[in-house]
Amino acid sequence: MAKHVIVNNEEHKDIKIITKRSAELGDNIWYAQTFPQEFRAVQAHYPIFFSKNPETGQFLPVALFGFKHQENLFLDDQGWHASYIPAAVMRQPFLIAQQTITENGEEKQQRMLSMDMDNPRVSTEEGEPLFLPYGGNSEFLDKVANMLEALHFGVSDGTQFCQALTDMELLEPFTLDVQLQTGEKHQMIGFYTINEDKLAALSNEQLERLHKDNYLQAIYMALASQSNVRTLLNKKNALEAAAQPA
Amino acid sequence: MNQPVRRIIIVGGGSAGWLSAGLIAAEHETKNSNSIEVVLIESANIPTVGVGEGTWPSMRASLKKMGISETQFLTECDASFKQGSKFSNWLHGGGDSYYHPFTPPVGFFETNIAQHWYPHRDKVSFADAVTCQGQLCDNNLAPKQIATPEYAFHANYGYHLDAAKFSKLLQQHCTQELGVKHILDDVTDINSCPHSNDIASVSTLEHGDIQGDLFIDCTGSKSLLLGGYYGVEFIDQSSVLFNDSALAVHVSYQTPDAEIASHTLSTAQTSGWIWDIGLPSRRGVGHVYASDYISDEQAEQQLRDYIRADIGDQANTLDIRKISIKPGHRKTFWHQNCVAVGMSAGFIEPLEASALALIEQSAKMIAEQLPANRQIMDITAKRFNQRFSHHWQRIIEFLKLHYVLSKRSEPYWQDNRAQHSIPEPLQELLTLWQYQTPFTFDSSRTEELFPAASFQYVLYGMGFDTDLSWLQKRHVPMQSVQQYFNENNKKTQHLLRTLPTNRELLNKIRQFGLSKV
Repeated sequence: MAKHVIVNNEEHKDIKIITKRSAELGDNIWYAQTFPQEFRAVQAHYPIFFSKNPETGQFLPVALFGFKHQENLFLDDQGWHASYIPAAVMRQPFLIAQQTITENGEEKQQRMLSMDMDNPRVSTEEGEPLFLPYGGNSEFLDKVANMLEALHFGVSDGTQFCQALTDMELLEPFTLDVQLQTGEKHQMIGFYTINEDKLAALSNEQLERLHKDNYLQAIYMALASQSNVRTLLNKKNALEAAAQPA
Repeated sequence: MNQPVRRIIIVGGGSAGWLSAGLIAAEHETKNSNSIEVVLIESANIPTVGVGEGTWPSMRASLKKMGISETQFLTECDASFKQGSKFSNWLHGGGDSYYHPFTPPVGFFETNIAQHWYPHRDKVSFADAVTCQGQLCDNNLAPKQIATPEYAFHANYGYHLDAAKFSKLLQQHCTQELGVKHILDDVTDINSCPHSNDIASVSTLEHGDIQGDLFIDCTGSKSLLLGGYYGVEFIDQSSVLFNDSALAVHVSYQTPDAEIASHTLSTAQTSGWIWDIGLPSRRGVGHVYASDYISDEQAEQQLRDYIRADIGDQANTLDIRKISIKPGHRKTFWHQNCVAVGMSAGFIEPLEASALALIEQSAKMIAEQLPANRQIMDITAKRFNQRFSHHWQRIIEFLKLHYVLSKRSEPYWQDNRAQHSIPEPLQELLTLWQYQTPFTFDSSRTEELFPAASFQYVLYGMGFDTDLSWLQKRHVPMQSVQQYFNENNKKTQHLLRTLPTNRELLNKIRQFGLSKV
């Protein structure tokens, strides 16, 4: 179970965060949430699809790393082989907690940096220290805080983005059938993509609305990213070939 | 005679009128075409009966056809999910119960699973052996998840709804989205064509004479056009189905997060039965009974006793509304250029909630089989009459089946088992079922309202004995059948783990909505 605490320079002065990438540290995931502002970087490596949050049924964009549960084709013993890793992965073990504070008699929501003490990245032995010897934030912690802030606004923008897609009925379910060179077949269900016929049939007002929020660019990046399914397939085939006896 | 059928006049609102209007308008895309016009005339002075709070799964297709969002429907009609009915105390009256769920038995389309279950009947109920739905209902679980698209499901479902709110939503949707013309006025007269028996127009107080090519009578039990104007004979069915009265009441939940039942609960009484329907904001409870066997006062007492078990002495002060039922139907439903839909066609007690389902079926057939011109209308009318005479007969027999299988000893129940009160086709089926389990050859039609699966659920829910010993010699592929039972078991366990309760899901739908895909 996760144990979330607000980060502070007294209790956590000796805490270090392990930043290397490995399955033991929880990087063996086959997809992660992404958001429009990072689509440009994400689509250079990973296919972007849409999936439903099982708790709310709301759509969210995801970057795909593998074809099945616990399969990350970018990950091996040496680490994660891609020049960009989505912020939703990079943020671990941190998250933002909403705290209600009273300021001048007025209740306000404040975002606080917190972390999961049970996450295997949290250490006192190795990794990046959170605080400087006299209590100031380390450069690492400032970077983390900035990233989480960007992630917070990115996810909220991603929700708007998906709402716009839903309003225009642009999302459709699809089944990805993958056949490996070994003949092995995978079928992935539960993902959604943008219906290009409906996209082409949008009215000027609808296009204007999408363009205004920069969502038109996000849509085309998501569509273009689908060619990365081939990248994933190549990686998978290479892996299977290496595993075969010569 | 070759006059095209262009203008359809629906007389009467309510669920019958608005469902007919919506399904016809959607089928013919009346909003974007001039070929068909749908006009609904509704009196501002006549209240709707507001019964029919339970639907069949067919309602999902009807709503979808009309282009109504399920999220909007659920939230605006105070609707919840219905996965079937539970019958309590129908067999002996000592706490016995069984389910008639909406999901057909596992493997139903490949094999007659009932005869394979039969040898194991002492160990597992028929419903539990072949569907997950009884157990989902036992736990007040929803038939789907928040990520399941609108109208899709893990377990088949219809709805419980607030009939008045439903009519309001249909009216709004029909007039704003489907191009149905709405006239609020009283019909004062019916005028015939000069050279035929057809209806030419109806006169109204403020809108003059309204002409039409086809008139749909949705005037409720008054049956203004079909019964009143044409005098089509009413076939009384009270010698088969005795119930002629109902008392209805709304019951509040004791806490806002009280569980919402997934089934209509029907509890047998000495001279009738009590329905219990859970909506998100309240329950609808009522007692249906035969006035020959019990007084209104006694019936009210039994109803209050039933409610008192849940809410205590608050039950003594609840407002109770009396409804009279005249069980029966018209001899024909489509006469000349007039067709009756809803209570104007007929009405019987709500035991299997067939009222809205019959309205949907009628409206669907009118919409899809709409005659192009007056010349062919008589053929359509004949086909419609044949089909719906058959539907009424089968519904009456199916409802009667619930009573004849009872072993209760009160006079009402004994008289229900008297042979002269049982329609002959049902007597024959009961004789057959002593040696074979109900299956598809029992009915002669497709689009049967009650499939053989429903007969299986009720028959074996009520502990009916079928002597299958003569079948033992035959080769039975037991392994594949065992797979069906295993499949059902696995699915049940999975759904019990993953489905939210009705209350949880309905709260989430209010917050997030269901997605269309």
